[in-house]
Amino acid sequence: MNCITTENLTHHFNKNEMVLDDINLRVPQGSIYGFLGPNGAGKTTTLRLILGLLKKQSGAISIFNKPFAANRIDILKKTGSLIEAPSLYAHLSAQENLAILQKIYQCKKSRIAEVLQIVGLSDTGKKSAGKFSLGMKQRLSIAMAIMHEPELLILDEPTNGLDPNGIIEMRELLKQLNKEKGMTILVSSHLLAEIEKMVTHVGIINKGKIIFQGTMDDLHAAQQESSFISFETGNIELTNNVLIQNGLHAVINGSRLTIPMINKEKIAAINEQLVQQQIKVYQISTVKNDLESIFIDLVK
Amino acid sequence: MELFNSIKSEWLKTRKSAAAWLCIIGGLFIPILFLIGFIYNHETLATYGEEGNIWTQHFFQVWQAMVMFLLPMGLVLATSLITQMEFRNNTWKQLHATPQKYHTIFAAKFIVILGMTGQFFLYFNLGFILSGIIPSLLFDKALPNVEFPFEQFLVSNGKIFLTCLPILALQFLISLKFKNFLVPIGVGLVLLVATLIMVGNWEYAYLSPYSYGPLTMMGSPEMMEKINIYWLSVIYFVVFTTISYAMYITKSEKG
Repeated sequence: MNCITTENLTHHFNKNEMVLDDINLRVPQGSIYGFLGPNGAGKTTTLRLILGLLKKQSGAISIFNKPFAANRIDILKKTGSLIEAPSLYAHLSAQENLAILQKIYQCKKSRIAEVLQIVGLSDTGKKSAGKFSLGMKQRLSIAMAIMHEPELLILDEPTNGLDPNGIIEMRELLKQLNKEKGMTILVSSHLLAEIEKMVTHVGIINKGKIIFQGTMDDLHAAQQESSFISFETGNIELTNNVLIQNGLHAVINGSRLTIPMINKEKIAAINEQLVQQQIKVYQISTVKNDLESIFIDLVK
Repeated sequence: MELFNSIKSEWLKTRKSAAAWLCIIGGLFIPILFLIGFIYNHETLATYGEEGNIWTQHFFQVWQAMVMFLLPMGLVLATSLITQMEFRNNTWKQLHATPQKYHTIFAAKFIVILGMTGQFFLYFNLGFILSGIIPSLLFDKALPNVEFPFEQFLVSNGKIFLTCLPILALQFLISLKFKNFLVPIGVGLVLLVATLIMVGNWEYAYLSPYSYGPLTMMGSPEMMEKINIYWLSVIYFVVFTTISYAMYITKSEKG
């Protein structure tokens, strides 16, 4: 079952500029969904539309299997969010910022101390949020997003401004919330490496269009498909002839020939043919694209 | 209940804010000046003489100094500061992603502004009473020996509060519309100064929503006979609030 579904979501900021084009998101219940794309791809616009912060122009949005517009209050009661830069009242302390939400959500007062503990801001006392470092502000924003123990968490670039240690902590926290509380998490990022260790599903958006959507296994399969075999031999021309006889189209790259990925048996058979024709085989190697290069290829 | 919780959360936001300080300082400023004047000159309310109730004389002297310029200016600043708090902290998106109906958010914000204005009135009246009592206790060793016209002061406070409503509503409207803090402050101050020049010089000065405070003190008897500034205040208030609400609810970007 999907927690978030968008159907043909399209958005223009003006007549000529289409920001989102036919976005069909499928965020499964209980997943950690990584929403990836370069800056300006349309991630934030999509998330703002999902939360009702932007007026929908065309398409449909359902959360918890209910249309958003007609069920805004019920949906938002079960949703926590952090969109772009932290949203904090700079003149108030971390505790006071959380108390504002505690009044709205009507959760227990003890929850304030709990979430401060979770994000590691218990010791900030009366210090006003305006004096926090960017990392602390980001952590307080997460605390605000999880204040009411939501079923769905929507986080737009939550690791912005965090140091490497902070990024790891954030990743662990999100994994923990997903595992222990069963929270569905939609997290956007422009760096695949940052979220690939955490997410179960991925959606890649570029220039307002979804160009890939599936599980991490699907992405790994795509990675497999985009891998290739490289041959380094004593005679490029003869090697190429052998490959053509085997129905393979090779690309010559200096002293190497590369072909798309084939199975192990076929590699062994080609190697045997090369040896039979007395071509010296120096190296046969598999070149795997890392996920980051696939991502870059996809968004090119 | 939902509105009550929203008001509580909005009220919390004003804690330690510039608007809250403005409310305290603005409310006590004129009474403290009077108090200092009394103490410096070794005077008490008794020096106002025998004509009329000395409390009433003191009340109108203190209020006159206030309603002419300081009160409208304070309202311009405080309303803009409270409303612009969401723009300044980039928190509209956070606020609109909470499970609150849009009309509740709008109402809670405006009620808090009205509440802070009420709080200002409270501080001001407290200051006014203390500025009368303290010198009397110091120099006459007794409380002012006349009846305190409580009911009259309550009605007068209510009327002055009514004259504040158009300013609050217009400043709220401008502050909701423009991201830049200077716009509501600038527009408010320019209109206020222009109004102060018009009042007393132009027979239609009452058309300005900023004019009703000054008119309570400076309005010519002919003009005040012709118009009812309290009804005009209420009409402007309703019109501006309706426009603000329509603008707020139809805004396509809510953060």
